[in-house]
Amino acid sequence: MTLYAYSLLSILGINIMLATSLNLISGFCGQFSLGHGAFYGAGAYAAALCAVAGYPVPVALLVGALVGGALGFVVGFASVRLREDFLVVTTIGVSFLFVGFVRKQKWLGAEMGISKIPASGLGPEGNAIMILLFAAATIALCLYLNRSWLGFAFRAVGDDEQAARTIAIPVSTYKLLAFTIGTAVAGLAGGLYTYFTQFIVPDSFTFILSVTLMAMVVIGGLGSTWGVVIAAIILTLLPEAFRFINDYRLLIYGGVLMLVMRFAPGGLAGIATSVTRRLRKA
Amino acid sequence: MTTLHVESVSIRFGGVQALTDVNFSVQKGEFVGLIGPNGAGKTTLLKIIAGILTPDTGRVMLEGEDVTRLPTAKRVRKGLAITHQIVRPFRSMTTLDNTALAAGYKITSNPLTAAFHWRRSQQSARAAEMLAKVGLAGLEDRDVSALPLGNLKRLEVARALALDPSIIILDEPLAGLNHREAERQADTLAALNAEGLTIVLIEHNLRELVRVSKRLLVLDGGKMIADGEPEHVMSDPAVREAYVGKADDHAAA
Amino acid sequence: MYYVDLFLNGLIFGSMYALMAIGLTLVYGLLRILHISHAAVYALGAFITVIVANATGSIALGMLVAVVVSAIFGMGVYRVLYQPMLRYPPYVAMIASIGLLIFMEDAFRIIFGEQGLTFTRNPYPTQIHNLFGITINTVQIAMIVLSTICLVALALFTTRTRMGIAWRATVSNPTIATSFGVDAIKVRYLNFMIGSALAALAGGLIALLNNFVEPTMGFVVSYKALAIIVLGGLGSMRGTLIAALALGLVESFGTIWVGSYLDRDALAFLFLIIVLMVRPQGLTGAHA
Repeated sequence: MTLYAYSLLSILGINIMLATSLNLISGFCGQFSLGHGAFYGAGAYAAALCAVAGYPVPVALLVGALVGGALGFVVGFASVRLREDFLVVTTIGVSFLFVGFVRKQKWLGAEMGISKIPASGLGPEGNAIMILLFAAATIALCLYLNRSWLGFAFRAVGDDEQAARTIAIPVSTYKLLAFTIGTAVAGLAGGLYTYFTQFIVPDSFTFILSVTLMAMVVIGGLGSTWGVVIAAIILTLLPEAFRFINDYRLLIYGGVLMLVMRFAPGGLAGIATSVTRRLRKA
Repeated sequence: MTTLHVESVSIRFGGVQALTDVNFSVQKGEFVGLIGPNGAGKTTLLKIIAGILTPDTGRVMLEGEDVTRLPTAKRVRKGLAITHQIVRPFRSMTTLDNTALAAGYKITSNPLTAAFHWRRSQQSARAAEMLAKVGLAGLEDRDVSALPLGNLKRLEVARALALDPSIIILDEPLAGLNHREAERQADTLAALNAEGLTIVLIEHNLRELVRVSKRLLVLDGGKMIADGEPEHVMSDPAVREAYVGKADDHAAA
Repeated sequence: MYYVDLFLNGLIFGSMYALMAIGLTLVYGLLRILHISHAAVYALGAFITVIVANATGSIALGMLVAVVVSAIFGMGVYRVLYQPMLRYPPYVAMIASIGLLIFMEDAFRIIFGEQGLTFTRNPYPTQIHNLFGITINTVQIAMIVLSTICLVALALFTTRTRMGIAWRATVSNPTIATSFGVDAIKVRYLNFMIGSALAALAGGLIALLNNFVEPTMGFVVSYKALAIIVLGGLGSMRGTLIAALALGLVESFGTIWVGSYLDRDALAFLFLIIVLMVRPQGLTGAHA
């Protein structure tokens, strides 16, 4: 395989991790976050600092996941205190705050970012395999959690918090946990990204990225891991397959988001369900 | 034995005194009706018992334990079950899953325990049992979004029962049901009480309430104005003036 | 005088934020939708102002056309996008709104180019006046005058006229509409019309001040407007106004004091997050 193919596979794996982990927060637990890119960025910067300081790959990745998850825990606290609509705006704020903060920090390289990050030593092929393994593990985790009682209770929290409380579910703890797990995975993805590019800048983690990830989740279908994986693959590969799409990428994302919400708010998963239902009836 | 004890509870909202020095106890096995005109403070009282509101003064005791400052979920763990006046099913789930999730309250009360459990057969069996008890047998696999109101009101009761409660407080479980449905729902509650379940029923439907409950509490203007046997309470002139007089307004509205 | 200038500058930006945020408050109060694409209306207003002004030579005409077209556009967004989504959970309309915003921004970029547009003749930002020792340019004066007129007119309308009172009651509690004999559907259109007109006015004024419009100009402002309505307690016009002015001032002074640690745009959200941590119900909202 070519270098290009490896890099494409790496990006694909990272996007799958980001989209499914956001789905865990927003789809499973019903907490809309438009700041997922910030946790990814926090993980990337943390891992980059570790790598530059000479720590081995596993340590850097672990630190990335911890930093992402810790930041997520803090924002999760906001979600516990705030009304639903406040949370969306707050996470948008986190997104802007992160980039605005990093841009001004000399120790994080400011606008220029961090370059000359040591290689993982695995080569492009090894990196791609590592990333895809982590992506597969994330999918497995999501599938498992959704079948477990944890996912069962997440759905209740997402459906109706007050009703969840009256069946003894400690709603706040669940929300906090959803945020922490989801953002830790995003932080880990950030660490992987750091080793993939060996060069990170603040602009890689802007609000547009967060919106793109949310697009993957809602187009795939909130709460459906496979739907989200498929949407992540489509939205990653299409712009690569057709260069002209890349020039009009945001136009198309925006248009698709509107159309999906207007005509199929359940996303790909919703379409699949209604098709199988119709087939069964026929 | 006292299951629920509300002791000198008062609460103000802005300039309005919503509840003033409310006292009452419910003994194990009782079937108590709570009535009062709109705005009397019934919903506020329920919210205080449920832990959605904290009273300015006074205490709420559950099985002899002070729970005034505990969150809702913890009170439910201690044996308090509540149904909602406006039905609140989990809309993405089937009837059975709605109830099974409640039946798994021991697992879900700690997310880490929940993360390491996935089998549901035991809870599902228990849920099916509860659904049968409230008359929803055969509807286990329905999406709740497709159920009529009468069934959703029953589902609220089944979900509460699945929590193995020591007391169940029902907020207008008959409202919005037609005559026959209301009668059936009230009969179900009476049967549950006969099995030993302690019930507090908040209702506007006086006919059914007087028929099934064994004791009536009357709240008016944030104060408890009567407490006793249904026939006795209903003939109390103060209750007639406060409740029946305004009930006509209610009926007219 | 330095601090007085900063203060004035803060108020001017605050008044523009207020013009933007009122539309969001109106929509949120009535429909519980976070109308994120409001920013696109603001950018639309700015672009139309520049294009019409350059074509006709009259900036006033440009702003008038911008306000009218944007008001109609806003009503169209409600009719075509939001109305069919009201039966779904609120996130559906919110995501669609984000979609519309990035769609329109990219459309502006494709049509008008990444570099944006400038006025061919716009002497106003460089006309400096000295009033009581304060330096201020013509556009800034226009901003103060026009936003004051609009906000006062809105306040008079909603407190003195029967229709206005009914309207405000409807926005703060939509179920009241029927008991007031108000046509709830008309109120919705009215909200989108007025909100969009004010956003277009703000867009046109900002375009004049910067002598420049660009496709992504609405982006950051829109999120600040969202932050403002949250700060104001969501759905309260008075709260929105106070929060808008407060944010203008915080930015103005904050840029001087902590500008080396955070950029101006991030500051707004730091302010938002701090306030929400202390007062989850917003600056002026009552306890739930």
